[in-house]
Amino acid sequence: MGLLENKARARLFYKYLSRVYDQVNPFIWTEEMRTEALSLLEIEDDMTVLDVGSGTGFATEGLLEHVDEVYALDQSEHQLEQAYEKFGKRAPPVHFHRGDAERLPFATDTFDIVWSSGSIEYWPNPILALREFRRVLKPGGQVLVVGPNYPDNVVSQLLADSIMLFYDEYEADRMFKTAGFEDVKHAFMGPSYDPEVAITTIGRVPE
Amino acid sequence: MKESLLEILCCPLDKHDLELENADYDDEEVVGGNLVCTECGEAYPIEDGIPNLLPPDMREETPA
Repeated sequence: MGLLENKARARLFYKYLSRVYDQVNPFIWTEEMRTEALSLLEIEDDMTVLDVGSGTGFATEGLLEHVDEVYALDQSEHQLEQAYEKFGKRAPPVHFHRGDAERLPFATDTFDIVWSSGSIEYWPNPILALREFRRVLKPGGQVLVVGPNYPDNVVSQLLADSIMLFYDEYEADRMFKTAGFEDVKHAFMGPSYDPEVAITTIGRVPE
Repeated sequence: MKESLLEILCCPLDKHDLELENADYDDEEVVGGNLVCTECGEAYPIEDGIPNLLPPDMREETPA
């Protein structure tokens, strides 16, 4: 069990992290990476899009370049407060919710796209969350998850394992297929000094 | 939140429909009240317009 796999701890961690998050964030998850991830989706402006673990709104901002409205969900009000400052608290363009990725408060077959970046590493049971993504997606709907790639060297691996969940493409493949997705594909992304720091996985709900 | 959101929201625990109770409005916006599960009766508060749909075990203690 990693340090942050306890949700109360994760909330506390984020309460403090949210204050510096957008300054720290660009080092591991940049606008270029966000654009690259967005290009993996087939996205039309009238699609219904959910951003899980939307946090300070970094991905939400990218999604809004492609769609008119985004449904955003996060467990941490401290993270969300940063996002309220960017988009306002009221929809449009963003419908905000507090909630849990593993127990989504949305009806079955609601969304065309479920996006989640920088959140999966904090979920105690990623397959449970991915099954929920599948449930709320319409048939043929697309999922996109950005997470940290499992580091190559042993010292980083030990650190990674003690702090949060990391996975490689084989593990990602297994998780997404177990959750019921098909056409599962992976892309590695990162800044030039660390080009494989993030793994992005896309998949589709069977028609 | 917009009242139309009720069409896609459900109870995070048992996925049944939610009903809006004791709603406070500011124009078209629902700014307060509770979303109550039609099956299990669990109530989810709307806090300054943001629906708090965290399951009860994850909900923070709110100061009185």
